[in-house]
Amino acid sequence: MGWLDFFTGKKISKSPFVKEYEALFEKKTPKLRPISQLKFVVLDTETTGLDTKKDYIVSFGAIKLKGYSIHIQETFETYLDAPIQNTNSVKVHEILYPIEISPLKDFASDLLRYVGSDIIVGHHIGFDLAMINKILKSFGLKELLNPMIDTKALAIRLEKGPHYDPRMDKRGEYSLDNLCDRYGIPLDDRHTAAGDAFLTAQLLMKLLKLAEQKGIKNFGELMG
Amino acid sequence: MSNVIVNRVKEFLKRFPPFTFLNDATLGLVAKEVEVKYFAKEEFLFRQGDAAQNFFFVLKEGIVQLAEYRDGVEKVVEVCDEGDVFGVLALLGKRPYILNAQAKEDSLVYAIPVGIFEKILEENSRVSLYFAAGFASGQVVVRSDLSKSQKARSEFKELSKDNGLLIFTGQSDLNFSTDVLCCLVGKSIGEAAKAMSEKGVGSVIIVDESKHPLGIITDKDIRNKVVAQGLSYDTLVEKIMTNPVITKSKDAGFSDLYLTMIKNRLHHLIFTEDGSSQSPVTGILSDHDILLSQGNSPAVLINALMNTWDIHEMAKVRNRAELLLKYYLENEVAMDFVANIISEINDIIIQRAIKIAKNKHDPSFPEASKVKFCFLSLGSEGREEQLLRTDLDNAIVYEDVTPSKEEEVQKYMLLIAEEVIETLLICGFQPCPADMMANNPKWCQPLSKWKQYFSDWIISPNQKALLHATIFFDFRPVFGHRTLADQMTDHIYQEITGKTIFLNFLAKNALLNPAPLGFFRNFIVERTGEHRDKFDIKLRAMMPLADIARILVLSHKIVGINNTFKRFEKLAELEPNHQELMLEAGKAYEILMRMRAIEGMRSDSGGRYIQPEVLGKLQRQLLKNTFAPIDELQKIMRVRFQLDYFTN
Repeated sequence: MGWLDFFTGKKISKSPFVKEYEALFEKKTPKLRPISQLKFVVLDTETTGLDTKKDYIVSFGAIKLKGYSIHIQETFETYLDAPIQNTNSVKVHEILYPIEISPLKDFASDLLRYVGSDIIVGHHIGFDLAMINKILKSFGLKELLNPMIDTKALAIRLEKGPHYDPRMDKRGEYSLDNLCDRYGIPLDDRHTAAGDAFLTAQLLMKLLKLAEQKGIKNFGELMG
Repeated sequence: MSNVIVNRVKEFLKRFPPFTFLNDATLGLVAKEVEVKYFAKEEFLFRQGDAAQNFFFVLKEGIVQLAEYRDGVEKVVEVCDEGDVFGVLALLGKRPYILNAQAKEDSLVYAIPVGIFEKILEENSRVSLYFAAGFASGQVVVRSDLSKSQKARSEFKELSKDNGLLIFTGQSDLNFSTDVLCCLVGKSIGEAAKAMSEKGVGSVIIVDESKHPLGIITDKDIRNKVVAQGLSYDTLVEKIMTNPVITKSKDAGFSDLYLTMIKNRLHHLIFTEDGSSQSPVTGILSDHDILLSQGNSPAVLINALMNTWDIHEMAKVRNRAELLLKYYLENEVAMDFVANIISEINDIIIQRAIKIAKNKHDPSFPEASKVKFCFLSLGSEGREEQLLRTDLDNAIVYEDVTPSKEEEVQKYMLLIAEEVIETLLICGFQPCPADMMANNPKWCQPLSKWKQYFSDWIISPNQKALLHATIFFDFRPVFGHRTLADQMTDHIYQEITGKTIFLNFLAKNALLNPAPLGFFRNFIVERTGEHRDKFDIKLRAMMPLADIARILVLSHKIVGINNTFKRFEKLAELEPNHQELMLEAGKAYEILMRMRAIEGMRSDSGGRYIQPEVLGKLQRQLLKNTFAPIDELQKIMRVRFQLDYFTN
């Protein structure tokens, strides 16, 4: 694959790790699977800004959660010093790498292996996904295929009911800070991707318990 | 793996023992293995009888209650909060859990795999001591080994706190001379003096053929007894030697050696092979040696007190003693030693104060000043347990005089008492709010009146009598004629014989304050489940122990042991079936004394009220461990004095 491919808009061929990833979704998670048996990956990114076109990921952190338990051993974090992440080359420490051998390729492959077919969770997950998908595109994956949960949406659903209009909330009522505060999770060092993912994971555990109490007990009900 | 998260776990763990004792690298290894678990309110982490899981727990957030289910009733053993370590049976012996652990709020716990910790347990003595001493929550079932707790505490103290103030250095630094100058009995003073001069020493030990010590001659003896008296240098050494000599084995504990010297005002202590005077001399310890090893020392302070008649100078010395006390407490110097030193210093101040008062008033009372009296310390000072200068409790007993002289004698005694109390106040002591002091005419009485007081208290033990009993029964003669105090003691035992009902009343009184259950966050958890924000260490822990010790000592008719912890030691001898408990109780009392004194110095108060938030995790556990023997003793008292059938 050469640099011309990008400009010609030719379809980028799929990297082997992307194919591997896609294969995981051939089998669907049964709707009846109870929450305690579901596997979640809680993630967060730190970026240079809020513009998904111009800005890029600086660091990424993720945590696996299953059965209300997190293994510290299975947490994931990485730092990317990659100013351009939407072309076929990447500049790292003033060196221009072709995308195939760049740290971005390692990241994309590590990320897909890490998330597998687990449920991806994040706070304002849409933004993180857009930033991640931008990277994955370079390796032939249009977007992540995993089921997604936004802890913000989940909190609103649990607190206000499913038919609530999120435009009604008071400013910042469902920000990660406020939610953590409300659910008694101490905010230690915020604003590292892994740190925020850790907070979000703790929030998720509390929200899932709350969901179970409200009768949302399995995969189907949780995603529904 | 995420370093940010590992570090976050590490930062949390390292605030709490036993993780505090791990180095950074090891702590990192542990943090990596941690599993973060979430339990909703009311969920069980494990249940009594469940097989041990592969990890033990540290509570990150929330509340976990440990409870024992027995005979259909759930009894809360402990309520854990942030940083508490529990479920350690998984680590120690892998036995099934003996308690239920239930989340009382939504809780986040760190599960530490046993595998990684077993190795640490083997390699890190402080960590293993932490567990051995029963510091983990729910580990203390009935009786923890408090001596281990104490040991643990001194091991755990931060070495960095040691500010190099070398007041107490311990035996290893004690240099004494083994090359002792000896002189055979039967030699002349001239020969002895020549030998001393040749060797350049200030003392010579007079020995018999087998090198057993008979006496000692010092420079001072030669100056005072020979030269000043114009004695011939041919006089035999045994004529002027000081004897008998006090001997010890060099293996005797430092505090023992030291106290012997202080109490007997010795400048030289002779070491012999077996410690008795019937064995060969092996060395000599001089007060100079002690000074060198001590820097600033009790001996220096006592010496300073003995050499001044200036009250303000005495006050200064007493303030210096406070620094010494602080150092001793922080360095876990044995409590009997510390209490002894401080009592000795206090006693000397009282003795000096009385002499000052007598010098002042005796000329005006030629008759009354010849009446025998004894100055008594009462309460905690009477028990030789008053480390801080808290309330003064004292009294005077004097011999019975003819009614015509009574008024004059009491007037004199009160004047003396007044002076002494004033001196003590200048030296930093606090007056007794209930006025139980020798300058109160009520407590400055002839022997017959005192006997009457005690008889009254024993025969009609009302609430006031019981209050008086707890203070006055712990009297200790400090100055004057001991025999008066001894007669009071004899009288008390005579009166108690056959009037066991008095002890029942005392026992009932001692059980008014059950020890609390433990701590939760910044609260004290009562047995009723109530929370309080500060803890009255005197009322809730020390008084019950002191009261129980006093009652048991009275019931066994023991004379002459005043210290609460020594009383428990004695009781351990007398009650072999409760030996362990009595020793634990004594240890508990020592720990409490130390904590109270430390708190008192920290907050510049009597140290009575302890706020849980100022205590570290270890201190809290240590304090909590002292509650166990109190509870058990109270149960025994209840049965022994049949208090459940006894109402007044």
